[in-house]
Amino acid sequence: MINELRSQVKKLLEDKTVDIVIGYGKGSLPNTATPIFITKPEDADQLIFDNTCRNNLTVYLTKDRKKLKKDYKKIGIVSKGCDARSVVLYTVENQIKREQAHIIGVPCNGVFEKKKIQTITEGKEVIDIKVEGDEVTLKGRAFEKKVPLKEVLSDSCIYCRYPDAKEYDTFIGEPRVEVEVAEEFKVVTDFEDKTAEERWKYIEEEYSKCIRCYACRNVCPSCYCNECFVDQNDPQWIGKTPEVTDSVIFHLIRNLHIAGRCVDCGSCVTACPVDLDLRIMNKKVEKEVKERFNYTAGLDINEKPAMVSFCENEKQDFIM
Amino acid sequence: MLKIKKTKLNEFIDFLNRDYSVYAPVEHGKKTTFKKIETALEIDHSAYNTSKSAKEVFFPQAEVMFKYSKEGLKVPERNEKPFAIWAIRNCDAKSLKMLDSVFGDARQHPGKDYFKDPYWKQKYDNCLVFNLACNEPLSTCFCHWFDGNPFDKTGSDVFVVETADHYIMEDISDKGKKFIDSYDKAEKADDNDVKVIDELKATAESYLGDKIDTKPLFDKLKKIWDEPVWDEVSAKCINCGACTFVCPTCHCFDVDDEGKDGKGSRIRLWDSCMFQLFTKEASGHNPRGVAVQRVRQRIMHKYNYFRDNYQVDLCTGCGRCVSVCPVNLDIREVIKKVLEY
Repeated sequence: MINELRSQVKKLLEDKTVDIVIGYGKGSLPNTATPIFITKPEDADQLIFDNTCRNNLTVYLTKDRKKLKKDYKKIGIVSKGCDARSVVLYTVENQIKREQAHIIGVPCNGVFEKKKIQTITEGKEVIDIKVEGDEVTLKGRAFEKKVPLKEVLSDSCIYCRYPDAKEYDTFIGEPRVEVEVAEEFKVVTDFEDKTAEERWKYIEEEYSKCIRCYACRNVCPSCYCNECFVDQNDPQWIGKTPEVTDSVIFHLIRNLHIAGRCVDCGSCVTACPVDLDLRIMNKKVEKEVKERFNYTAGLDINEKPAMVSFCENEKQDFIM
Repeated sequence: MLKIKKTKLNEFIDFLNRDYSVYAPVEHGKKTTFKKIETALEIDHSAYNTSKSAKEVFFPQAEVMFKYSKEGLKVPERNEKPFAIWAIRNCDAKSLKMLDSVFGDARQHPGKDYFKDPYWKQKYDNCLVFNLACNEPLSTCFCHWFDGNPFDKTGSDVFVVETADHYIMEDISDKGKKFIDSYDKAEKADDNDVKVIDELKATAESYLGDKIDTKPLFDKLKKIWDEPVWDEVSAKCINCGACTFVCPTCHCFDVDDEGKDGKGSRIRLWDSCMFQLFTKEASGHNPRGVAVQRVRQRIMHKYNYFRDNYQVDLCTGCGRCVSVCPVNLDIREVIKKVLEY
């Protein structure tokens, strides 16, 4: 697979189908991949693709990176299913023209969740990870542990229905269409089953850890406001200290801003330096939008986003 | 040198607690941070290093400088005992010294009296630092690039080594000696303990990766301020503040008023050079409006500007920024790229 990816990228750059390719290269730490930008065909050999490729690379098309779109007419992006959905999102939201991005779909088997691995090894550093079929061997300085692959994959991947890009320009191998997933919203329904007090307690406890570094926002492909509301100071919408009330407001508003727009790539969860459980609320909003408007973000490039379209028969109880 | 049995740590912490407010690594939602403790039972011994650095004990993320109302200003009174910090790694102990040169002003300029920050001084000045040697450095550690090593004693009052069943303590400062001497339940460490320490040190050092000579960095950075290397270095940075917030040496802050109806608080809080808002001016102009300028600022401040002012690099190689970076922008790779450029 990797050889085909490299030769395809090489070809795309050689025949000038694309001017630059954003992909994954080997990171500086064990079991880590890092985003790389390739403009020379001979550099295509630096590309890798495996379970360590966790970032959603489409973030480099918006926000501070808008210059990339100006510098390069046609941008190739190595995309997992979720990343390709972000390109669709950008297109329907008029952030890019579809033809400007060349989606290079890769077959995704899910990405590792560092935090899950650390729980399994009780905080001990893992130096090497080997994947053999459904089994993973975690190796450290003085230990070796075999666990099922599922136990170290990100929750977003375990419950992912679209592992392979539906919308693509080049695909490495054969893309799977939709994958059957049991209880996709289990994390939400379990949470909904709790009492209001329990839910609030959980949210308060989780978000009291937040250090407001905004890593979740900055890695999020759907968070691309020119100026985030937390960065506005005239008027100032939100306190800047890590007081739990302010942190909760930040996270809940972010949740609502990405309603019907979150592709559940899991980037925010992996990026958080203090391990906040950010997925529950994102997924809750996704479920809500799905039930009310029958809309899932990033699937259909011809469909208007849930928040900018209106049907008379939609549930309107929230208007009072 | 003295030693106490690991099983007797609770007695020692109780003794410490009499005259000090003790801070130690405590688990907080799957992560470990420095928190005030009452007993040794609260200490998390499993962490290699805390996920947030020890700077937050002395320089909290948000600190009320004073409260205001129509009646006037009120500075919060501090009635707490002096601080003692247990099991801080050398990278953090050293960073406190660096922060002290900023807030406590260690610069010696005859005839010039620089501002000394009272909020910092009241916490750091009488503090007792127990520096726990690092028996097992991680792949992210690079203290040896900046004159450090896992068993370095700089910045500590008492240097502690954890062996199989003891904590061996060596007093480094007068303050440390006075305290250790006052504790009469410790045993004397012997030659064998010294041997054990040497072995542990050798093992720890063998875990460290390649060493790079960072001395030329200062001059190099001076020359390449407007070179394209910064575009390459910063290309993947997504400009979150994770690296600066977990960094033990980053100390930029913002001052914010929170209040309404004529009363409120003036708060000092951590800020990050990675944020757009950090340099945004009232006119709307932003002198560091694009990502590359902000990444350059972080590197320049660490390895050039700070050395210019305080003759030391503003980095202890703790590796926290390396491990939290969502895009694996490894500061060591940046240093290498700059040196090779």
